[in-house]
Amino acid sequence: MKERLREYDLGAYPFDQAKLKAEVDRAGTQKKDARYTLRPPENGLVVRVHAKVLGGYEPAKTPSRELFQNAISRDNLWITSAEHEALGAGRVPTSLQHRLARFHLVDNTRGEPPMWKKDEIRQMDLNLKDGVLTGTVRLETEDGKRGYEASLRGRVLSESGKVKQFELVALGEFFGEGTYTRNAPEGRFPLAVTFQLADGNDIADDVAPQGARGWLDGYLR
Amino acid sequence: MKRLILVFGLLVGWASLHGVPAEELSDQRCKDLLTQLQPGEDAVWRTIPWKLSVLDARREALQQDKPIFIWAMDGHPLGCT
Repeated sequence: MKERLREYDLGAYPFDQAKLKAEVDRAGTQKKDARYTLRPPENGLVVRVHAKVLGGYEPAKTPSRELFQNAISRDNLWITSAEHEALGAGRVPTSLQHRLARFHLVDNTRGEPPMWKKDEIRQMDLNLKDGVLTGTVRLETEDGKRGYEASLRGRVLSESGKVKQFELVALGEFFGEGTYTRNAPEGRFPLAVTFQLADGNDIADDVAPQGARGWLDGYLR
Repeated sequence: MKRLILVFGLLVGWASLHGVPAEELSDQRCKDLLTQLQPGEDAVWRTIPWKLSVLDARREALQQDKPIFIWAMDGHPLGCT
């Protein structure tokens, strides 16, 4: 790569600047494929989601394994306009509860995790009273090989029906792993997932949720 | 006494099967976790001015006469960050 950069600096890297400019101009006038340019719901909210395994690993034998064991994951939760309105009025719509559980209460610290099916939400309640969110959730696959049971707690601050602060923490015990999230701790292990309203200052705030890729309607359902 | 021990044992067994979370989620614990689960500000990859669109990056690179560094892999852009 250093050699290519040196060629570029010397002006020796072969490309036709005029042709490239024409291509760039042409691309700017073409309609973008909406499947690859997902935007958050209008008048909705973007919430940053982080997860971390808090313990249970055997000592790492390699540096890369250690990185995964200490990783803090990142995804975004999208909240629709109607759900935003409901939160501002002091309610947590079922659609939001289900999306939060199915696509965001996952162990994505070692790679891309399997999401939960709707009927894998065995139990969930998330209530909002006087700005305080409290609840519990139990998720489990039919074969009993993967699950998460957690307490939920957080706060919502609204002004004139607009949400100004949204914070939520899930803390509980996870078990199991997915095809692309191998090497989870044995048995049950503590997993925390945090949610905080995005302020738009991080370019990652603009990335569509993993669960929405190729299936936005299903994600927002 | 034996009956009491049996009832206690059944309760513990039920709790372990039904996954009563082992740790209480207090306000303070929430605050601590919200603080703890943040990407490090000193992470080198965060210092790179990433673009989400390769077309936008190409336009800007042309305007600034700079090459583009592309990090490409299959999967979600935020995966394993």
